[in-house]
Amino acid sequence: MLTATIKGMLAHKLRLVLTSVSIALGVAFLAGTLMLTDSMNRAFDDVFAKANSGSDVSVRGKAAFADPQAEPKPIPASVLQTVRSVDGVAAAEGQVGGYAMLVGPDGTPIQPAGGAPTMGGSLAADKDLRGEVRINTGRAPAKSDEVVIDTSSAKNRNIPLGSRIKILFRGPAEQFTVVGTVQFADENDLGGTTMALFEPATAQRVLGSPGLYDSIIVKAARGVSNDQLAKRVGAALPNGVEAVTSQALAEEQSNQFKQNVDILKTALLVFAGIALFVGSFIIWNTFSMQVAQRTRELALLRAIGATRRQVMRTILLEALVQGAGASALGLFLGLGMARGLSWTMARFGFDLPTAAPRLQGTTVLAALLVGTLVTVVAAIAPSRRATRVLPVEALRDSTPGAERFSKRRLAIGLAVAAVSVGALVAGLGGAARELILVGIVGSVLGVTTLAPLFAGPLASLLGQPLRSRGVPGELARQNAMRNPKRTASTAMALVIGLALVSSVTVLAASIKATVHDVIGKEATAELYVKPESSQAAGISPEAARSVRDVDGVAVVSEAGFGRAKFTGQLTRFFSVDPGTLDQVLDIGMEAGKPRDLTDEGVLVSKAKADAHQWKVGDTVPAEFANTGKKDLRIDGIFSHKGYLSADYLISLGAHAREDARHLDATVLVKTTAGADVDAVQKRVSTALNAYPGTKVVNQKQMEKDAGKDVDKLLQLIIVMLLLAVVIALLGIVNTLALSMFERTRELGLLRAVGMTRGQVRAMVRWESVVISAIGASLGAVLGIGLGVGFVKALADQGFNSLAVPGEQLLLYVALAAVAGVFAAIGPGRRAAKVDVLRAVVTE
Amino acid sequence: MSTIATERRVAARAVEVSKTYGKGDAKVLALDAVTVDFNAGEFTAIMGPSGSGKSTLLHCLAGLDRPDSGEIRLGGVDITTLNDRQLTLLRRDKLGFIFQAFNLLPTLTAAENITLPVRIAGRKPDAYWMDTIIDAVGLRPRLSHRPSELSGGQQQRVAAARALASRPEIVFADEPTGALDSHSSAELLGFLHHAVGQFGQTVVMVTHDPVAASYADRVVFLSDGHIVDEMREPTADAVFDYMKHLGA
Repeated sequence: MLTATIKGMLAHKLRLVLTSVSIALGVAFLAGTLMLTDSMNRAFDDVFAKANSGSDVSVRGKAAFADPQAEPKPIPASVLQTVRSVDGVAAAEGQVGGYAMLVGPDGTPIQPAGGAPTMGGSLAADKDLRGEVRINTGRAPAKSDEVVIDTSSAKNRNIPLGSRIKILFRGPAEQFTVVGTVQFADENDLGGTTMALFEPATAQRVLGSPGLYDSIIVKAARGVSNDQLAKRVGAALPNGVEAVTSQALAEEQSNQFKQNVDILKTALLVFAGIALFVGSFIIWNTFSMQVAQRTRELALLRAIGATRRQVMRTILLEALVQGAGASALGLFLGLGMARGLSWTMARFGFDLPTAAPRLQGTTVLAALLVGTLVTVVAAIAPSRRATRVLPVEALRDSTPGAERFSKRRLAIGLAVAAVSVGALVAGLGGAARELILVGIVGSVLGVTTLAPLFAGPLASLLGQPLRSRGVPGELARQNAMRNPKRTASTAMALVIGLALVSSVTVLAASIKATVHDVIGKEATAELYVKPESSQAAGISPEAARSVRDVDGVAVVSEAGFGRAKFTGQLTRFFSVDPGTLDQVLDIGMEAGKPRDLTDEGVLVSKAKADAHQWKVGDTVPAEFANTGKKDLRIDGIFSHKGYLSADYLISLGAHAREDARHLDATVLVKTTAGADVDAVQKRVSTALNAYPGTKVVNQKQMEKDAGKDVDKLLQLIIVMLLLAVVIALLGIVNTLALSMFERTRELGLLRAVGMTRGQVRAMVRWESVVISAIGASLGAVLGIGLGVGFVKALADQGFNSLAVPGEQLLLYVALAAVAGVFAAIGPGRRAAKVDVLRAVVTE
Repeated sequence: MSTIATERRVAARAVEVSKTYGKGDAKVLALDAVTVDFNAGEFTAIMGPSGSGKSTLLHCLAGLDRPDSGEIRLGGVDITTLNDRQLTLLRRDKLGFIFQAFNLLPTLTAAENITLPVRIAGRKPDAYWMDTIIDAVGLRPRLSHRPSELSGGQQQRVAAARALASRPEIVFADEPTGALDSHSSAELLGFLHHAVGQFGQTVVMVTHDPVAASYADRVVFLSDGHIVDEMREPTADAVFDYMKHLGA
């Protein structure tokens, strides 16, 4: 049975290749994602294991909850003496770390690729405590103006020992002499991070505060295990300070980065899932056509005594073999895909830690299982149809005709569509967010079910222009209409791809429209100070300070960004200056005024206030990582989230109490009335020369920058969706090729009565264009619907403007139609080569 | 008898045409230096036992197959020298075809099928001529029907009308009644006979049915790749007897 199946498959090589590739590409995406993220996780494990290798135990401030983005809570320097006196401690030193950006000799800051941090720290005096941090060239810093930097920065920027370089901190920038370079084990940098290491007292001064440490690293005496040491040290520590083993610390630090890897993984898996879903349509379609074409063979099998179950098994076995083969191919392609994904992300400015793709057993298993399962599941419906072939059909000579659109299908399709639209409306109306997802998936299924109904009329409509192209055009139009179910299922793969592309395009356009509405209307500041790189951690408050003195500047209002638990949920917040906020930003106060905000209070969004039935004077239970639980009084309720998109605003004072070292997320500048904004901008820009990595933009530039970021993200998403579109086009090639095989006699007849090869190719080409255009236009319409849904769903995130970029969507449809021309090349050539005699002569 | 034939113009001529199929032991000599003329304005039937090469001869004459050697002359042109495109245009503009089955495109109506070759050529069908042949085949009430809604006989009559639509120089029919009952066969053959007699068309038909052959003006007998005889003004009985003699 198996050999017969494999032989049968090999007899149709093109079909085999096309369908296998359509599944293999999805599997490759899946496998590539898993390999890439596994290797990233491994890279982080390595980095942090190395970073902590110098110590056995770390002492640190106890956080109320783990927040990877929060700065550690400092501990008093006096704790060091306590630690040193613990029995079993061989050595202990205080450590300080923080934001330190190196500025190259040319005056430009060294912004590491891939969003890696720019770190400063203290270099332990005791070599044993440095662990894998090794002086590569030069010596350790000894004086207050000396620094050692990572070897990569020194090499890449050509910074020789003895150079004087500027380093930016949260506080004032300072000049240092580079006295050495460091390596981390054998690496020149720590996963791309730039590093500036100082002697401990200097580190306290520039990175933290004198008298405070971020952590104390401890080396165990001989014969004392890390766990024992951690326990002993822990027992001696004051309240609010804890001791953890360096292994636990490394794992914890690594896990914080792994959370980001997980987000990336989820996003990429969604795209892989889309590619597989689209691929399953190709499988479904191919098996359906195959069953139709093999009716006589199947009927013969039934006539000679094969049971329905056996017929079904034959077909599912074929799907199983093909799925397994395609998955294996996909796994192999996944190696390339992992590199391709990493490369693509880097192209769009999201550099990922570089590491060779890692193939784990679970990846192999997942890829093979998912690919095979998708193929078999997609073949179930066609195999069931095969069981309905009657033995008597062996005796009939018939080309597969169009299947009728059943009333049951109509009923089911309408029901699914109605339920999903209901779910969508309910979800958007504020009911459970999950309903929106149900609505999206449901509407795709609904459209899939009903598509055959639209396919005929749509083919007729979209094919109208072809009527002027003579017989090939006319026949192409009718061929596209003759089997609406097939046309629909072929086009559906494209519908899904185009719907997603269109919906994110609508979303992106709406975000841009929102930005347009916000800048100048809600945000009334004329100038904005922002980091040059969108991956920078933030702006030093020193920069804002320097802008205040510029001639023509009336108000400088800073805003910080952080995370805390509000009503038990880890949520982002902005910290604002209550005294100046309303002069630069209209946050649409529903109750209270921004200047009412105290360091003990909070401003909450109208959405949250409505949800919790809060009013001014009520309290919000909050919890901060460093300062712990605190009830905040509601000092006001705001409704505009367009510029500061968070539900909670606290004061800069309250933020400083939680984290004294936080950076500014944005700085808004109001010029004095009547001042020449351009001139002021120039002067501010000059003032900011002292803070490389920051820039000042006006309203127009601000809007443009935001638009660029949105476009970049949109392009990245479209690139990720492109694979699904390519699979859909392969599906069109496949359907056309199978249709041509089915229509061999017709093609022969046409050739016999005088259709030239060129006309035959044109006929196939136009049919392909019609199918592509159906898929693309249905997809665009569905995508607009979904896009509007997304925007509405994000309304409480501050996205209030809806924009449908008609020209861009039309361009997509046109491009898809053009792609249809290319999809038709192979099948068209095949059709033109039909042997006229063999096609028309009855043997 | 032969004097009349020489006075007529020759529509198609095969000169020393040979054709073999297969290789080695499986080699079959389908046509062995066949030379034969087909006169314009005549209805000629080609008969012979199966494997005699009659269909191969028709296909070579119609430019659907290429002989290994020899010439095929249609209207003074040796079509064996033409490339695929030239052959295609020749079939489109100068020839008409009726096959045994599957003559019609299932997506087109009867009327559209009839005008197909003319429209492929990008020309407008001649309305008067269309009316004439449609009435002659008696299909006026069925014109808007698709092939699946027509009987086998009606389908073959549509095919015949299609073959005549472009006023071809010659119509080739390959077992056109092979899949029809006797009544439908009679209707179709009557039409072809009428087309020759009334419209001056030229028809060359391959058949194995003596009754069908009896509608022709002339029957050419083929056996083992050779022309063995011919008969003018044939009757079904005479053809039947001759075929028995050939051992078919």
